[in-house]
Amino acid sequence: MVNKKESLVYEAAGQWKDGAAKNITFIVTKDCQLACKYCYLVGKNTKERMSWDVAKRSIDYILDHKEYFSEESVIWDFIGGEPFLEIDLIDKICDYLKMEMFRRNHHWFNSYRFSFSTNGINYHTDKVQNFIKKNAGHVSIGITIDGTKRKHDLNRIWKTKEGFSPKPEEEKGSYEDVVKNIPLWLEQFPNGGTKVTISSADIPFIKESVLHLYSLGIHEVNINVVFEDVWKDGDDKLFEEQLMQLADAIIDNKYYLGNTCSFFSDSIGKPLDKDLDNRNWCGAGRMLSIDAAGNFYPCTRFAAYSLRSKKPIIIGNVKDGINKNLLRPFLTLDRTTQSPQECIDCEVASGCAWCQGENYDAADTSTVYQRATAICKMHKARVRANNYYWNKLYRKLEMEGQREEFEKNKKKSNDVIC
Amino acid sequence: MLQYLVILLDKTSTSFCHYKAPSNSPKEGRTLIPLETLRQGIRFGMMENLMIQYVYPDHELPEEYQEVLESIDHSKIKPYGQEDADVLVVDGFQQVKATVPVVLRVTKKELFAHQAEVAEMLADVPRLNVVLTDVETFTEADFEAYKECLTRLAANVERLYVDGKSPQLNLLTDRMMLSQMNNCGAGDTTITLAPNGKFYVCPAFYYENEADSIGDLEHGLDIKNKQLYKLEYAPICRHCDAWQCKRCIWLNRKTTLEVNTPSHEQCVVAHLERNASKELLQNIRKHGTFLPEQEEIKEIDYLDPFDKRDTWQ
Amino acid sequence: MAIKKLVGQVTPEEKNEIQTLFERRNGLNELAKILTADNADLYEKLVKDMGETGSKFQDWWDRMAEKYQWESAENGNWEINFDTCDIYLVTA
Repeated sequence: MVNKKESLVYEAAGQWKDGAAKNITFIVTKDCQLACKYCYLVGKNTKERMSWDVAKRSIDYILDHKEYFSEESVIWDFIGGEPFLEIDLIDKICDYLKMEMFRRNHHWFNSYRFSFSTNGINYHTDKVQNFIKKNAGHVSIGITIDGTKRKHDLNRIWKTKEGFSPKPEEEKGSYEDVVKNIPLWLEQFPNGGTKVTISSADIPFIKESVLHLYSLGIHEVNINVVFEDVWKDGDDKLFEEQLMQLADAIIDNKYYLGNTCSFFSDSIGKPLDKDLDNRNWCGAGRMLSIDAAGNFYPCTRFAAYSLRSKKPIIIGNVKDGINKNLLRPFLTLDRTTQSPQECIDCEVASGCAWCQGENYDAADTSTVYQRATAICKMHKARVRANNYYWNKLYRKLEMEGQREEFEKNKKKSNDVIC
Repeated sequence: MLQYLVILLDKTSTSFCHYKAPSNSPKEGRTLIPLETLRQGIRFGMMENLMIQYVYPDHELPEEYQEVLESIDHSKIKPYGQEDADVLVVDGFQQVKATVPVVLRVTKKELFAHQAEVAEMLADVPRLNVVLTDVETFTEADFEAYKECLTRLAANVERLYVDGKSPQLNLLTDRMMLSQMNNCGAGDTTITLAPNGKFYVCPAFYYENEADSIGDLEHGLDIKNKQLYKLEYAPICRHCDAWQCKRCIWLNRKTTLEVNTPSHEQCVVAHLERNASKELLQNIRKHGTFLPEQEEIKEIDYLDPFDKRDTWQ
Repeated sequence: MAIKKLVGQVTPEEKNEIQTLFERRNGLNELAKILTADNADLYEKLVKDMGETGSKFQDWWDRMAEKYQWESAENGNWEINFDTCDIYLVTA
């Protein structure tokens, strides 16, 4: 007798369906326990919490308008602030989604995920755990841990009891509060990946942090430098040195077997054809974000709490629906139209990312068509170290007769940028 | 490349396009351009080799302005009723006769209601530019009504051609004559000097927000992201062959928040005109040789190029 | 320790068919945790769908086993990897 069984390979929701799923984000709260120094959310607060009424009306609008949401699959994404601060609301939303997708015979009932990016502090609580168990086949959770204690605590600090950023002498890191939940998380999501963000002050800790995450059992490290204009003279050189050291450590210790670090990708650092490789990098406009007031955004980065210097771009709301004219610029964006000539001619252009929201926020006029280039020198440094990594690794594998096998089983690294 | 400088002689200068200008009552703020600002504006135009277009208000200018105004070659855009104009503007439907081109600013409702009179006017003016002042409000039903209206207007144009006349109606005859995009050019080929001494992309930008200037007479022009006013940087428009479309930069920004992206309504309206021009060209040619150097306008299966964006790459 | 042996492969279209059914079955099971008989219409719809999806599921494995004649074993399971379309025989 043979039993039949299927195994589902859990993936990070971002990679699920090769990124072709519709991403719908509920900004359930703008509150967070932490006051991370690099956080782009400049307008976090404790007041803007999504109500059930707004959540329900949003869901009804989305499920009522299949013509705007024709993608085969959907990722229902929950962010904050810290989303798990609103676990009761999230639970109610997810129950309603399941019932409504089924009741309406919506095609998304056959292909959906609930996705979370959390600081991990509340991960172990009964409410969060019960939620995970209840939705086990559809939940994808990423916990953000930045690496070693000193690297993590450099930025990811607790806010004060009064809800403010602490004075330097009163800073308290959150590493211990997060790392205690990593084993439970990895038990539930063995392929769970983490997202590491690098700002200027973090550069000296890159190597130790990635290796530390591997040692915790996190095999997928999605890491990126911030897009904001924070880079100092010499940061690129330091960055390159860190990545070279990391490359040596990964190769010499064979961490490349079973682990990935998104800094190293053999597809980056090549010129891009201005006609054939002209797609936009960012998915803004193809996603939908909803805030507590019931406003719709092309991506969370266009909500007021994410913007330093520009007005929010609101593309509709739960009452009036989506204004499709406001989506047109996003859906026709391509690489070359928004790029300066220097980027179009760049010989190492592939893999150089941008965030549409940061482009908008940093632009000289109110436009999403001006690419911010603050990461230029960091990308070039990454490309140099990346070239070194692959040349060294492939040579080693060839000498050992293992290159073919490696290439066959190689896991695609995931350029998660936001 | 910059070619034209529009100079608003007063804050209440007549609107010759989609935007609404403040009314001409002294209460609403007649603000005449200071004579010195006018002199400097003209000087700027001379130094940059720009063609100057004065836009007049509906009240007389002081005598001392005449000499300054005449100090450079120029054209005059004036409200209907004034003399010595190169272009006359009629605000709201009114059947007029003129020996110079006429801009007729009307709402869709006015156009649909007075389409027969508009057709009659074609024989009484050398050129008629119909400007719809509420393009952004068009609904599916309005598109249908507009299509029908254009068909009727085209029948009149055809009749006039058969009678040996050469009527010009921007909505129908421009596309027949063109072989490339011919848009308004605001921010690219044309800029506007307002009475406050500041430059704007077009008068509409001045009226909407005076702080939204692109330089001033003292410091010169400073057009940020100026490439975005060019056709090559407009992803939808550069794939489009509704060459007669105004491609109104101001309406673009108003409806999509981007100067380089038109609204669905602007695209469909322009394509209904394009398609009506196509029919008109074919119909006129049935009567004999007409514009032999011009190619046929192609049959296409869309009214909004945005819908074909998947085929662009 | 379980032993996993590659015994065959299905086409991407066949994989898509079972993956959709797998997703639907998971969805139905999770919906069953929150739906009660109080919600009579939806509950009835759910029960009916679970039966139908289960049958389609079984039918897929029967059809594929018949088509590809995969190796089998006493107390063994077949597994499919949705990424590769590979079929494995897993024995204890």
